[in-house]
Amino acid sequence: MLLYLLWLLPLFGGVLLWAFGPQLKSWAGPIGAALIGVAFVATVVLWNDATAPGGLHAGLVTWLPGWSFGLQLDRLSLIWSLIITGVGFLIHVYSIGYMDGDRAFARFFAYMNFFVFAMMTLVLSDNVIGLLVGWGLVGLASYFLIGFWFEKPSAVAAARKAFVMNVVGDVGIMFAVFMIVARIQSIGYADIFAHFQQAFSPTALFLVCLGLFIGCAAKSAQIPLHTWLPDAMEGPTPVSALIHAATMVTAGVYLIARFAPLWSASADARELVGAIGGLTAIAGAILGCAQWDIKRILAYSTMSQIGYMIMGVGIGAYDAGVFHFFTHAFFKAQLFLAAGIVIHALADEQDVRRMGGLWKQMPFAFVAMLVGVLAISGVPGLSGFFSKDAVIYGALESGHPWLYAVGLVTAGITAYYMFRLLFVTFFGAYRGNVDQSDLGIRHPELAGTAASTGHRSDEEEPHHHAPAWLMSVPVGILIVPTIAIGWLDAWPGAPWRQFFAGFFPRVNEAAVAAPFSETISTVLVFVVVVAGFAIAYVRYGAPAALRDAIARLRTETVRMPAVLVNAYYFDAAYDALLVRPARVLGGWFDRFVDPHVIDAGVREVAITSQWLGHLFRSFQTGLVRAYALSIAFGVLCIVAYYAYAFAFTGSGR
Amino acid sequence: MSSALGNLPSSADYAALLPAFIVAIVPLLILFVDLFYRESGKWRRVVATGIAVVWLIVAAVLQGMQYPHDYAAFGGAFVQGGFSIVFSEIVIVATIATLMLSIGVGRDDQVAGTTALLLWSASGAMLMAGASNLMIVFLGLELLSLGLYCLCAMSKRPTARESALKYLILSSMASAFLLYGSALLFGATGSVGFAALAAATVTPLLALGAGLFIVGLAFKLSLVPFHAWTPDVYEGAPLPITAFMSVATKAGTLAVLARFAYAALPSDRAAAILAPLWVLAALSMVIGNLGALAQTDMKRLLAYSGIAQVGYIVTAFAGTTALGLRYAILYLAGYMFMNLGAFAVVALMARDGDAVVGLPRFAGLAYRRPWLAVAMTFFLIGLAGLPPTIGFTGKILILAASVGAGYAWLAGVLILGTAISAYVYFKIVRVMFAQVDAAHVRDERSPSALPWVAVAVCAAATLVLGLVPFTPSNVLPLVK
Repeated sequence: MLLYLLWLLPLFGGVLLWAFGPQLKSWAGPIGAALIGVAFVATVVLWNDATAPGGLHAGLVTWLPGWSFGLQLDRLSLIWSLIITGVGFLIHVYSIGYMDGDRAFARFFAYMNFFVFAMMTLVLSDNVIGLLVGWGLVGLASYFLIGFWFEKPSAVAAARKAFVMNVVGDVGIMFAVFMIVARIQSIGYADIFAHFQQAFSPTALFLVCLGLFIGCAAKSAQIPLHTWLPDAMEGPTPVSALIHAATMVTAGVYLIARFAPLWSASADARELVGAIGGLTAIAGAILGCAQWDIKRILAYSTMSQIGYMIMGVGIGAYDAGVFHFFTHAFFKAQLFLAAGIVIHALADEQDVRRMGGLWKQMPFAFVAMLVGVLAISGVPGLSGFFSKDAVIYGALESGHPWLYAVGLVTAGITAYYMFRLLFVTFFGAYRGNVDQSDLGIRHPELAGTAASTGHRSDEEEPHHHAPAWLMSVPVGILIVPTIAIGWLDAWPGAPWRQFFAGFFPRVNEAAVAAPFSETISTVLVFVVVVAGFAIAYVRYGAPAALRDAIARLRTETVRMPAVLVNAYYFDAAYDALLVRPARVLGGWFDRFVDPHVIDAGVREVAITSQWLGHLFRSFQTGLVRAYALSIAFGVLCIVAYYAYAFAFTGSGR
Repeated sequence: MSSALGNLPSSADYAALLPAFIVAIVPLLILFVDLFYRESGKWRRVVATGIAVVWLIVAAVLQGMQYPHDYAAFGGAFVQGGFSIVFSEIVIVATIATLMLSIGVGRDDQVAGTTALLLWSASGAMLMAGASNLMIVFLGLELLSLGLYCLCAMSKRPTARESALKYLILSSMASAFLLYGSALLFGATGSVGFAALAAATVTPLLALGAGLFIVGLAFKLSLVPFHAWTPDVYEGAPLPITAFMSVATKAGTLAVLARFAYAALPSDRAAAILAPLWVLAALSMVIGNLGALAQTDMKRLLAYSGIAQVGYIVTAFAGTTALGLRYAILYLAGYMFMNLGAFAVVALMARDGDAVVGLPRFAGLAYRRPWLAVAMTFFLIGLAGLPPTIGFTGKILILAASVGAGYAWLAGVLILGTAISAYVYFKIVRVMFAQVDAAHVRDERSPSALPWVAVAVCAAATLVLGLVPFTPSNVLPLVK
């Protein structure tokens, strides 16, 4: 009963706020947040049921045999539900402050509640169709929210890009679902996991995993379907925090963890997913070093961190990958919300080159950002340290030394670009009043979004003001798990591993003996992180660097390698390989195929049908004798047939 | 019960016949009660139709209680079982829907008479559903037809008389073929029972008899080339009667055809004897839909649509598989709801339920009466065979059954016919959603809200059957 409530409350909120937004006015925010809060309480209340063996199950409808739809809350969905509703609630509260004064205040919360509903559908479903529906709906919610400020052409373009990329992924999942339904004749997870061994050959299993992974790659911004995520930062910052950092983009991790039995049985799929995850982790981290937009830096860091998670679940270290999702949700949400405080205070300035020295004006945002940076860099004792270590060492344990090396290097790069962000933003002198060309910003209209947004009428002048308590309290609450949640794994008895003990299937292969112990690995990671920090400090944080910060930033901007500025030319390649040929093909269809083949064909069919119709109508004289004649004719034909078939062939007598 | 005279009918025999008997005897009650009314008035109408509806429901329930049991009554002349009950229930539902369409229209002093005739016709159709004997088939068919001859004429419009007369003449001609076929069958086997036919050796005489028997049925089903009467008769008859003819007559006749095809033919030559039937079905699917293309009167259009739809149902019989019969019954039920729904929409657009409703009257309907247009669109989508309706699900199942039975060519013709029909049905949809100047369109409304009930029930059933294609399992005809 409570499970239905948990599922439907956000939908109720979405519909309510959408339908009665104008009447509710400023109440829309608190109502939306409260409903998510209630959903969080419901999740917590259901803890015992969900952790019972087999989890909590609630049926919905059975359409045909094998097509039963229902909800299930087991340990895996419980973890996701806690994050979606818990972190979701905090971000809703934060949004009340952040979106204050926006023209479409109620619409924002309607979309946010709808998103939570879609995400709950995704994680609570006990069958692949429900999963696919949730998968599509979160994409839709993401589309709405990226394009929330639809008067900005860049936001609309980003929303469309995200949607198209995600549809590519949906098609991948659809193919996997088709194969599952065709071979197993059931859509329920339980049936799939019970029968997939007999139903699929190794090749077919790999194809199913591949289809599912295409969906993951699109939703979780894995190479090569990652290009939408940085653009998605066009949405409001709370959206970036909730959807494009904490929850939706990690749906790919959920999908692989949910289908862990399939992955455990397919070594090829594990290799593929592990490699793509590692590649994304390092590629995203390198791009993070080349960005100047505070939200795009965080976006690339999200991409890189999800790469870690995907690598973790891909190579069979499911609980480590899920753990990294769990900690990442807290510290990345916190980073985004802290960045949001900065952006809000600077009237939508997002270029870190035009910030600097903000720790004095915004000490709270600085502390929050600092804790987040320490956590994501993997400083010992903070949450990111434990989960990232688990993933990196998991790569070694599963016999992937190359992925281990990639994870190690990425950890160092992560520390570098995150401290770079911190130093450039909060240290030195404020550069907001420096001429843009002095900072090397060549296209002022592209660099700062402050001038172009114009969605807030009351803030023409950049003026600093302390964040409203509504915005700081959620951030303050998030600091606690950001620091401490990692101990879930490190506490004596390792409660996290206990929680998932026996939940995920073991990978079939015998574990490879790791060449060195986890302690040595931890020390190694720490050394690399310190190195990353040191380079960032020398380049951006040291007194010498801070003195001539403007000149240095200018030099760096001008000399930035083109391959990084263009994000490895992925967008250009898609444009050249897909968009332009599609346009040409479309033009050809428009000018030739459509008018001369399809239209002409339809016209011919229509004309022929009309002609035949009139022909038959001419038989319809309305005279009884004509009708009687047609009956007689019919009878004659039939009698002739029987005479031929039975009398003359002699088969009867 | 045995006696020196042979088997006398037992009480169980009468019990099997009871539902059809109730429907046949209630008209007398209605006519008797009507004698006490001197003036026209609302109550005269309500009492007549009320009695009819109540007793139809009683008959339906009594019949439903007999459902799982097969019983061959009167020495195997009338077999009550899953097969006959499903068909009879379809007839009863169609009759109740017809009464809903006709309440509130027409002259009050005729209501008792039309209701009585309608029930007699329905009882004939119910008799046909269980008939397992050539004589009972003929009896049921004539009982059905005699009522309809009169009902077709129950209108002030001169076309109604023309319609009735045409129907009488041509139907008599078809009955003659049916009777001649029966006589030949009797001559070939020495028996009128279906069971004896199934056990006989095939002679040319038997084959010819079966062929003429099928011709008689094909006329009633308006299969091409025995269809020419249908558009004229449908156009002339009052609207509720047209609705009744398009469903109840076809349900009764299809029951006879199915029982004859499945249970009354020697199994070794059944395929050869039935072969012309599939040709008729194929012709109906193509020519029915082509004919509908050129129509502008809704009743004529639905007549042609019905010709094609019956073609789809007969296609399901191809190869006489058990699965095919189940899907045919499912599609028949679905066709009943979609078709009666469309008729109910047309009824709502006529002031007296008997007007000629042409296609131009639908122009811009979506803007004047959006709910009506939405309902009509839904029924047309169903008739065209698109999801989420029984039209789609049923057609898919029929395709599966006919391909499975080895009649892929017939399935191909079905697809061709469906493609043509999309043009027919969406032409109406397009007209409804076109922007027109409302001043040029005659906008009539039915004084009665009852057709709305029919619309709602039919729409719900069309949707639900489409999503949950329920087929009763115990429907194979039994011959004893």
